[in-house]
Amino acid sequence: MNLRAHLGGTFASRLFFLAALFLAPLSPAWGQKYEGRELVQAQLLSDATAVVPGKPFTVGLLLHMVPNWNTYWKFPGDAGIPTEIKWKLPDGWKVGEIQWPIPLRLDEPGDIQIYGYHDEVLLLQEMTPPGSLKDSTVQLAAEASWLVCEKICIPGNASLKLDLPVATQSTSSNEEIFSRYRRSLPQSWPEAKIARATWQRQGAELLLTIESPALANYPAADFFPAPEANVVAGHPKVERAPGGKIIFQVPIETADKNVAALNGIVVFGESANGPGRNAWSLGSPPVIASTAVLPGNFARFLLFGFIGGFILNLMPCVLPVISLKIFGFIQQAGQDRRRILRSGLAFVAGIFAWFIGLALLLITLKSAGREITWAFQFTNPYFVVLMSAVVLVFALNLFGVFEISLPQIANRGVLGWTAREGDAGSFFQGVFATVLATPCTAPFLGTALGFAFTQSGWTILLMFLAIAAGMASPYLLLSAQPAWLRLVPKPGPWMVRVKQLMGFLLLATLLFLLAVVGAERGVEAIIWTSCFLLALSVVCWMKGAFIVPTASPGSRFVSIVLMVLLLLGSAFYFIGGKFAAARVVSAETQTQDGWQPFTPQFLESELKQGHAVFVDFTAAWCLTCKFNEANVLEAGAVRDAFQRHGIIRIKADWTNADPAITKILKQFGRPGVPMYVLYPGNHAEPILFPELLTQNLILEKLETVSPNAPVK
Amino acid sequence: MKTKLLATLFTIAASSALIAADSPAVGTTAPDFSLTDSKGKTQTVSQYKGKYIVLEWFSPECPFVKKHYGSGNMQKLQEEFTAKGVVWLSIDSSAPGLEGNLTAEQANSKMAEWKTKQTAFLLDPDGKAGRTYGAKNTPHMFVINPEGRIVYEGAIDSKASPNPSDIASSTNYVKVALEESQAGKTVSNPNTKPYGCSVKYK
Repeated sequence: MNLRAHLGGTFASRLFFLAALFLAPLSPAWGQKYEGRELVQAQLLSDATAVVPGKPFTVGLLLHMVPNWNTYWKFPGDAGIPTEIKWKLPDGWKVGEIQWPIPLRLDEPGDIQIYGYHDEVLLLQEMTPPGSLKDSTVQLAAEASWLVCEKICIPGNASLKLDLPVATQSTSSNEEIFSRYRRSLPQSWPEAKIARATWQRQGAELLLTIESPALANYPAADFFPAPEANVVAGHPKVERAPGGKIIFQVPIETADKNVAALNGIVVFGESANGPGRNAWSLGSPPVIASTAVLPGNFARFLLFGFIGGFILNLMPCVLPVISLKIFGFIQQAGQDRRRILRSGLAFVAGIFAWFIGLALLLITLKSAGREITWAFQFTNPYFVVLMSAVVLVFALNLFGVFEISLPQIANRGVLGWTAREGDAGSFFQGVFATVLATPCTAPFLGTALGFAFTQSGWTILLMFLAIAAGMASPYLLLSAQPAWLRLVPKPGPWMVRVKQLMGFLLLATLLFLLAVVGAERGVEAIIWTSCFLLALSVVCWMKGAFIVPTASPGSRFVSIVLMVLLLLGSAFYFIGGKFAAARVVSAETQTQDGWQPFTPQFLESELKQGHAVFVDFTAAWCLTCKFNEANVLEAGAVRDAFQRHGIIRIKADWTNADPAITKILKQFGRPGVPMYVLYPGNHAEPILFPELLTQNLILEKLETVSPNAPVK
Repeated sequence: MKTKLLATLFTIAASSALIAADSPAVGTTAPDFSLTDSKGKTQTVSQYKGKYIVLEWFSPECPFVKKHYGSGNMQKLQEEFTAKGVVWLSIDSSAPGLEGNLTAEQANSKMAEWKTKQTAFLLDPDGKAGRTYGAKNTPHMFVINPEGRIVYEGAIDSKASPNPSDIASSTNYVKVALEESQAGKTVSNPNTKPYGCSVKYK
């Protein structure tokens, strides 16, 4: 790791600095001597040639450290103390806070992390002179103190003075160094559409979640905390989650359970401590606490939930129950208004009860597992197969191939409950309608639910309440105003058409699921899944054709046995056998076209010989990986460049989570694939690429590799 | 979504690694170690069960250590509390060849020169005890109660500076923790950020 990367301080800039010495306002340099060596040179600089009364300008404390020695950032980390500047200013002058450039994170043995600067640093402060100045020159004096460490720490201090003329106007001075250090200051937190930060307290840890596609593209991202004096924080751990999320876990050692957020900076760039890093500072104001959502946004999502809930009433799964309820309304039409209202309210209460229960279940799951989302299960290909089966069965049901009937006992139970007159009956009708509605929720409520899942428990609950309210709204209206029943369309053949149309919608969903299966397990897996689905269709057809009330008990029994045999047999053969084997096939196809299979020994021996090596960390189920391979790594120009520079190409297939590969991923701080690493050869530091590649990005870095001896 | 499961597993792995690297939490049982002191005697935490123990990470050249010894502040504290039956163990975890590493003789002459008053000076050249306790600074202080639980971890006092003139106006957290704990009270400030030079591990 390039710990000693310069923040600035190139040879050219030092030359410039020397030249500027005779022209620019700066204090005489003050040296800190230790055993005959000058460890630190301190100096004050101004960015203006003169003081103009009332006009703010910037001064800087410039510290030059000898190589390998460091001074500290405002939060020094595990050891050390920050540099301090105490000003002695004439009356009426004001000085701003120190603006600290992005520090380096320096790791020492014993798990010691410190934040500081090597070689050179300029600490900026804004100076505001009073509106009128009597003298023709002013002297700004400061006591600077610092700790400089290498293997040993030496405190240093200096009394510095900066003399500046007073004038009616000034021009800028020390431009190069000031602009260089202004560029290396952390920026204020960007607007929410670029990056959102949320804090969550989980026991003895604070979780900082950054949602930012812009940030996710950088291979290196870190959080440098700057906690208040009374808060003791441990080392942040970084974890990358899909969807451009970066999560920092910061252990909080302070007993105070009210610590809900920390100040600090989020640092990102091509490499840790490398040049060209950027940082966003995270103070208290720009952080959005996890419970607080932008109000406008939140209201919009609640509205989505409400509309989605309303639309649920039109879903084919619910329509049968709804018509029951509507008939109930029609029957009751002549009755007492108060009774109708009460039964309507009971029905609505049933709807709410189900959704609140569902919300509580999800909140519990979320607090237990933290990372649960709708899509989580899709990492498991068997789950996707199961989903495909369920979707197909529903579609066949909608086409009228067979009828879904609840088992006798359950049937009697539910009907018994729902048919019962009175409020309890209405309540359970409400629950029943909603239970039937849940499989239909995804397409309409997906957006709203997806949003709710990233939020706190309260938000989830409110979201579900909005859905319940949406679904319940027509009944509430109808109970309150039974006269409006006339507007409800009469049940009829149109309901069958709607059902069939919905069946095609479900088939479209099935196509998507099969595409996911293909991405995870290859084309063969799609074929075997389809075979199983075909057998399943036959089973459904048999159910519709032979398990009918008119069939004799004997033929029913035979049909059921055949159906079970067909279902289990096809599941066992196609899914258990063929499908499970499909991944091996796709893994074997990867060692072609000039790519070598990964083994730790092979990589090590190539690196030992000083060869340049490019490693593609990939997996069969990783869509991004496939995209990168097809569009970048296998593109003509890139292939040529690989060959021209004689770069060894290795493909590390992580489909089965090979532990040797996991180890390397961890070394680079990545939670998973894709990951692309170029070892430039001759034992140089490896280059880590962003997760989404472009041809230019790869070509640019490949050009920096000096050609190896051509590889066979 | 594809990497979510793996990301979660990774988190679990990472957080368990994290626990291993941190200082044992205040309130937990103080881990044991076995070190040789500058007089050649074996010293453990467990042998002092029933007594208060102060652990003090030490490095002779560190300006923050010098601040408290040069001013006599540390010796005064050692004298006051060892007289009350508190066991005070100074520990040097600097690795051989690195700044602050002392042989037994060097340690004894440093103790004589500085007129230190600790119970024993422990040599931890391989850094085992230091890493177990997550000691990162010199000085880095721990207070262990007679039940063997850590009741204080952190800085020696409230002013993070190498300047001896700051001592008079700072709160000595170790003194406060010992007095509160001995009076049967819970320690009001059981965890502070230690300040000093980093411990020079290998």
